[in-house]
Amino acid sequence: MSMPKGHKSKHGYATVSSMDGGLGYREIAEKMSESGDKMNHSTARNIFLSAMKKIARDSCAAAGAPLCDENLKRISSDPRFQSGVIDILRGIDV
Amino acid sequence: MKNSLDPYFKNAGRRKLLTREQEVHLSQRIEKGDESARAHMIEANLRLAISIAKKYYYSGCNMDDLIQESNIGLMKAVEKFDWRRGFKFSTYASWWIRQSVCRYISSHRNTIKIPAHASSLSYKVKKLISEYEEEFGQRPTNSEMADILGVTENMIKDSIDSIRLQHMVQYDGTVGNDDGGRHIFETIPDENITLPDDELDKKKMSNVIATSLSRLTKREEQVMRLRFGLSEIDEKDDFSFKESDIERVRRQ
Repeated sequence: MSMPKGHKSKHGYATVSSMDGGLGYREIAEKMSESGDKMNHSTARNIFLSAMKKIARDSCAAAGAPLCDENLKRISSDPRFQSGVIDILRGIDV
Repeated sequence: MKNSLDPYFKNAGRRKLLTREQEVHLSQRIEKGDESARAHMIEANLRLAISIAKKYYYSGCNMDDLIQESNIGLMKAVEKFDWRRGFKFSTYASWWIRQSVCRYISSHRNTIKIPAHASSLSYKVKKLISEYEEEFGQRPTNSEMADILGVTENMIKDSIDSIRLQHMVQYDGTVGNDDGGRHIFETIPDENITLPDDELDKKKMSNVIATSLSRLTKREEQVMRLRFGLSEIDEKDDFSFKESDIERVRRQ
């Protein structure tokens, strides 16, 4: 039996498919490696989730939600949270 | 409050219930064309028709009409009852009565009339979807449903459309029974308007994200930009979120 790919959140896979208009982890790893920062797709995913976790921590603190690691991990890998962050960032064209 | 059907209910109970022997005797007379025997058989079983019609009280149809339909079913049962088979009349008649009432409900419940065969297929499709979702945790595709039920995909598609029609309401109808109440269209939210609460939340979140961006490492920023498609990688580019970007998020 093949191993499941990525984390299956209640609301879909957050870490397997690429975002709309964005790149998949393998492509990110390739581009980063080309620019001198050598990494593989797992590292790219871990770095991305770490960034999401930082944003999730601040968001939880602002909303008064629990800051435990389990909660932050769940929120940061939730595609709905990621899509909310992307909407805000794209909306202001940073 | 006095019900308009009360006199009818009272009259329906006048005739005594028939014994098995009486049923056979009346059926034999009906076969020979005795109209009074037919009337006797029908009148003695009116209570059965009423009790079945009452079970469909919450179907949304008028009770008078439901009783009328169940009586039509009863009359059909009287015509078709075969006493030689040895069953009690009520056992046989209840199927005809139920069929008559169900057919009436399915054809009158919706604003758009759906044929009985389509209504029956819709019921099967609905049941299949709920069983499939329970078993596999996802909705079956139209082709899967067509295979299981042995019909074409187009028929499945039509059935799903007819299921949607069952939930149709009059756009300018009133909410509840109150004539002075609001219309249904007044209760439909305008999804194009951003609520002040949502706007405030968005501003708050923008501020939070701006703070978070300033705390990301260069690597995290680069990966996030690529993942979200915010910038193309180029050796000359500086990927980092600039102070001006963060300030813009904060202002937003």
